[in-house]
Amino acid sequence: MTIRALEKISVGQNGIGSFILQCKRLDIHYCDHSGSSRGMNAFIKTHLAKFAQTHPAIEFAVSPRPRKHPVMIGHYINGRQKSICVANMEPSQILKKAELLRDASGDKVKRVNKPVTSVNESVRGIWSPYHGNGMAV
Amino acid sequence: MSRSLLRSLLELRAPSTSRPAAQFRLPVRSLSTTPLRRNSPTPRNATAPSSIPTNPAEAASLATESRSQIPQAAEALYPRIPQQVNPPTSESRATIAQLLPLLRTQPAHYLTAHIWGRPYLVTAGDQIRLPFKMPGVVPGDVLRLDRASTLGSRDFTLKGSPYIDERLFECRATVLGTETEPMRIKIKTKRRQRRNKQVRSKHHFTILRISEVSINGPEAVSL
Repeated sequence: MTIRALEKISVGQNGIGSFILQCKRLDIHYCDHSGSSRGMNAFIKTHLAKFAQTHPAIEFAVSPRPRKHPVMIGHYINGRQKSICVANMEPSQILKKAELLRDASGDKVKRVNKPVTSVNESVRGIWSPYHGNGMAV
Repeated sequence: MSRSLLRSLLELRAPSTSRPAAQFRLPVRSLSTTPLRRNSPTPRNATAPSSIPTNPAEAASLATESRSQIPQAAEALYPRIPQQVNPPTSESRATIAQLLPLLRTQPAHYLTAHIWGRPYLVTAGDQIRLPFKMPGVVPGDVLRLDRASTLGSRDFTLKGSPYIDERLFECRATVLGTETEPMRIKIKTKRRQRRNKQVRSKHHFTILRISEVSINGPEAVSL
């Protein structure tokens, strides 16, 4: 007799019972000397504390990365990561990028044509020509 | 290990907003989308506002409930758009009183929720990808979708003209985040010109998850 896997009886869907933010960690890299990090350094001084305070679900890691452009890397629950180079940006632009990383799900970006995706089966069933009252031809 | 430690520290630091706070429940506000942070699970028998609101047709029909005061910015962004209900005819009153309990007892329900004029046929648990980035919301916000044109089960359908009375159902959606798509590159050509132009576009879409669809009985509209 072959071994059969247990059938999956339910699918985890975020946001139904509870909501879990998909971004779990945000790495922030800066350089003390290079000019491309000027905006990033200002962001860390002015905006970052408040942003981190309003997002207790995200772990923030700030570390220097000398002689390189400043980078923000978001790590997601699904194991993927998303990185944005924020060289020569203003602090307000960097804040927008941080919000982008926070809002992202971490999935690969795909083109989706249908607005509604569902795992439920159709409520009204599938139409059948062999049932019902029939159609006069 | 360090991560779990950090987690627990963070939980210590931040008052957990994700827990339901049963004491501070305002009734459902028929205000439009408000950025409320990490809303609590919604009150089950929340009542609609006492005065029946009136509504312009294609407007955003989102209402939000919050434990805290609704911020002024959100109030300005999503002004209160009350629903305009035509007084039901005696026939429709009789139909609702007779058939709505039957619709309620059939298990699976669907409804056509309208968000900013567009219809989305959803059931509980579905994910909606809005064709725009909804301003003023953050992941975790709970929106109440209060405009629906149809509401049904397998054998019964309630149709609105154009919308169903918002006191008859409760539909809530959680904002999951913002997604995007691969950059589209459209090559524009002109006749007898040797140059081609590439037009690039990349849009952002707000993702919602329908967390709750429930139907109130005919007593909700005092029938």
